Parts: sequence; structure tokens; C-alpha cells
Amino acid sequence: MELIKDILYNTDKILKDFYNWAYKLWSSFNLPFFILDIVFYLLITLAVAAFLVFNALFIIYYDRKVAAKFQVRYGPNRVGYKGILQTVADTIKLLIKEDINADKVDKIVFFLAPFLVFIPSFLVFLVIPFGKGLIPADLNIGILYVLAITGLSVLGILSAGWASNNKYSLIGGMRSAAQIISYEIPMVLVILSVLLLSGSLKMGDIINAQSSISKWFIFVQPIGFILFLIAGNAEINRAPFDLPEAESELVSGFITEYSAMKFAFFFLAEYTNLFLTSAIATTLFLGGWQGPFLPPFVWFIIKTYLVITLLMWFRWTFPRIRVDHLMEFSWKYLTPIAFVNLIATAILVKFI
Amino acid sequence: MIKYIKNIITGIISLCEGLSVTLKHVFRKPITLQYPEQKPDLQLRYRGRLVMPVDPEKNDIRCTACMICAKVCPNHSILEIEKVIEDGKPKPKAKKYIYNLGTCMFCNLCVEACPFAAIIMSDEYALANEDKEKLILELVSEKYNLTGKKLNWWKSKFKDETINKEKVQK
Ligand code: SF4
Ligand code: SF4
Repeated sequence: MELIKDILYNTDKILKDFYNWAYKLWSSFNLPFFILDIVFYLLITLAVAAFLVFNALFIIYYDRKVAAKFQVRYGPNRVGYKGILQTVADTIKLLIKEDINADKVDKIVFFLAPFLVFIPSFLVFLVIPFGKGLIPADLNIGILYVLAITGLSVLGILSAGWASNNKYSLIGGMRSAAQIISYEIPMVLVILSVLLLSGSLKMGDIINAQSSISKWFIFVQPIGFILFLIAGNAEINRAPFDLPEAESELVSGFITEYSAMKFAFFFLAEYTNLFLTSAIATTLFLGGWQGPFLPPFVWFIIKTYLVITLLMWFRWTFPRIRVDHLMEFSWKYLTPIAFVNLIATAILVKFI
Repeated sequence: MIKYIKNIITGIISLCEGLSVTLKHVFRKPITLQYPEQKPDLQLRYRGRLVMPVDPEKNDIRCTACMICAKVCPNHSILEIEKVIEDGKPKPKAKKYIYNLGTCMFCNLCVEACPFAAIIMSDEYALANEDKEKLILELVSEKYNLTGKKLNWWKSKFKDETINKEKVQK
């Protein structure tokens, strides 16, 4: 009983004890320690990968259900209880489909692009604090690492667009590059104002700075939170900012030529990115895994899913914005507001 | 500068309006019809396939084999009408009425043309078939029974006509 309670509420202590116990055991065998380290890292990677896949499956199901709710219909409800196995069935279908390579594609780049899109989102999990001590590595440059890595995914999208040898794909990739670069700036500015308050780039410290509800940064930085959601939504190419894959203009943008498993990878990356943006918003503004009664991990998931629901609400409400308005919105509105927000925060931090 | 701030404020207000509209829809009951389990409630005038129903009062079909419907059909979907032959003389009654569902385009012209309201478009809509031959139907021997609202509607068609005739005679 005590042990279960500890595992749920004091995961960091349990993990530390477990490490120490494993190290002691290992040293009694007189083997080099790096093997044990590698084993641990592999285990963590596996756990994160498993979480990522199941989570993406669930988010797709959840997205479809929420979309159905907004459109006054039921959504998937045939496969399994209330359609819960629908995405599993879809995944199996994608896995056994023929993998088509169009004739004139740039073979190597075409093959690598889905992975280039997916790997950055997988890497970001390194600094996502799932709960007390449940963070693969609490880097002291945590949030900077997130920004640096997410910037990489544009490379994958661009090469997918280029390698497809298709004008729609290319335009989609180009748009995506322009979009991600312009929305990176308001996002970084918002994160900077949060960092001014927390005084550290480390995820653990950011969460500790929001130790009680009144100290949550969403109350100190309400404008920042909204700006972060908008910019984050644009970063992950979701509606209303899904211009890179705008169906009505570009067929399907940079994924037009992809099929089967590669197509599935793009979707996996998209929904993982959705989860990541929400998780980072939770960490930066909603106090991370902190909360009363329930275990930290559960709190983290609840808050993250709240933010995901909010983003889905935006998605199913707003129509896609036009491409010139997209740039105008970022450079003329978001960036100045984020700047004002940053300066105001700096003044507040300095004088109060 | 004033225009800029005004832009931001009107933008936020209109976005919030949009959000509130979609939020209202979340709490509405879904209007989806769960098809194979729930069947749609069809309109009276719905045009399914052609049938020749049995008139419950006469306990017989109403067709007199006058061939008007076959002539009016734009694509010859009513293939063959054969009269009952009694004592070597043809009687005004259909023995065989062959209808090709495969070429019928549900235009309702035959139903409107029939002076005796002997045929009607039914509620049957799941008409797919693997075999083209099975689409050629014989309507007399089918002895189709209309039920419910559709039956009353069908009856009112020829009842009204008799009333109209009486009026004309007067
Ligand atoms: S269905 Fe009507 S129009 Fe056609 S042959 Fe019979 S009575 Fe005449
Ligand atoms: S509905 Fe039209 S096409 Fe079909 S049998 Fe009647 S007249 Fe011919």
C-alpha cells in the first residue's frame, strides 16, 4: 500500500532508490557502469516510444470524437466500445497498404522526409516533465532545447515537399517553412517572458516557480498564454493555420505523394506535436504536474488534454486563414503584442 | 494606431463569437441517423421502386392493362403488359406486368399518367443486386401490400378521383 502510494506520488524518490539499488547490484558484478546506463536509457526510450504511439492513437480517436461533437454527430462508434478501436483499425489498414513511390521522386530524400518530421517530435520528449521525477532528462537548457529541436521539423516538411517533385507539395513545403519561421518569433518572445518570471530554462525550475495555483503563469501572463496557443498551433500546422496541407488549395500539401506507412508517420508526428505543444503549454502556464489529491502524472495528463481540447475547439471553429493574412497576422500583430508583453513583464519583474 | 488597436479588439470579439457558436453546438443532441439500426422516416412522396399494390377493398390490383404507362415511360422501362384472356376475349385486367428496375430513372411519369392510380412508387430504396436479370420484375404476381401512411395516401388518390367524377356529373 505504502509502496503504491509512493510510486504514484513520490515517483522521484522511488526512481532514485531503484537506480541506487541497481548500481549497487551492478557494482557487485564488477562490470563497467556504462552498460547499465545504456540499458536504462533504452528502457526510457522504449517507454516514451510506447507512450507516444498509444497516445497518438488515442488523440486521433479523441480528435474525431470532439470534431463530431462540434458538428452535431456521433463520430466513430462501430469498432470496439464506442469506436475506441477505430484508430487501431485505421493503423492496421495503413500498415498493410501498398507503399507507392511516385516515378520521378527523389528516392532518398522522399524516404527520409517522414522520419525527419517525426524524429524531432520524438526528441522533444526528452524534456517533457510527465510527473515528479518522471522526466527523461531535466536539462538545464530545457525549454531552449525544445525550441531548437522543434525548429528542425521544418527541414523534414521542406524536404518532403521538395522530394515529391510535385508543385502542390513544393508550395506546401515552402509555406510551412515560411510559417514556422515567422511564428517561431512570437513564440520565443512569449517563452522569454515566462522565463523572466521563472528565472530558469530548466523544466523542473519552471514548474517549481508555479508552486501554488495563484502563482500559475497563466494568471500572471494571460496574454502570453493566448499568444503561445496561437503561435504553437501555427507551429504544428493545424487548422486554422494548416496552410501547408490546405486541402482546398493544395490537394494535401507536402503529404500529397505519400501513402501507407510514410503517410502514417506524418500523422503520428502531427498528433505527437499537438500533444507536445499542449504539454509545453501545461508546463509553462498551468503549473505542470502540480495539483491536489490526484497523482502528478494524472494531473499532467488532465491539464494537457484540456489544452488539447481547447486547440481542437479552435480548429473546428475557425476557417483557414489566407496565406498573406497569415504573415500579416504574425508580423503585424503577434510579434508586437509579444514584444509589449515581454517588456511589461521585464518592468514588472524589475520593480515588484 | 487607433485603427490598429480597433482591429485587434474587433478581431478578438469576432473570434469569441465564433467560439461561442461552436460551443453551443457541442451540447446539442447528435442528429445522425444510425442507418442499419435506425431507418429513415421517409416522405409520402418518396420515390422508391415501382409497385402495383393490391387494393384492399377490391382485394385485387387496379390495373386495366391500358398501356398508357408503357407509352409514357421515357426509356421504355415498362417492358410488357399482358391482358387476362377469358373465353378467347381479352379483358381489361393485367395478367403480366414486366418492369425493368435497371433502366428506370424514378421520374414518376408512369404513376402520374395512370388514369386508375394502379401503380405507385414505394418506400423500397435498398435495391442493389448482383444480377442484372433479377432487376426485371413482374409486378402483378408480386401482390404488393402497401401499409400505413402510404396506403392511405394511395387510397386518397383514387377516392378523390371518384369524388371529382361525381362532381363533374353533377
Ligand atoms: S398501370 Fe395504369 S396506365 Fe399502366 S396499364 Fe395499368 S392501368 Fe394502364
Ligand atoms: S418512373 Fe419513369 S422511368 Fe421508371 S417506369 Fe415510370 S415512367 Fe418509366
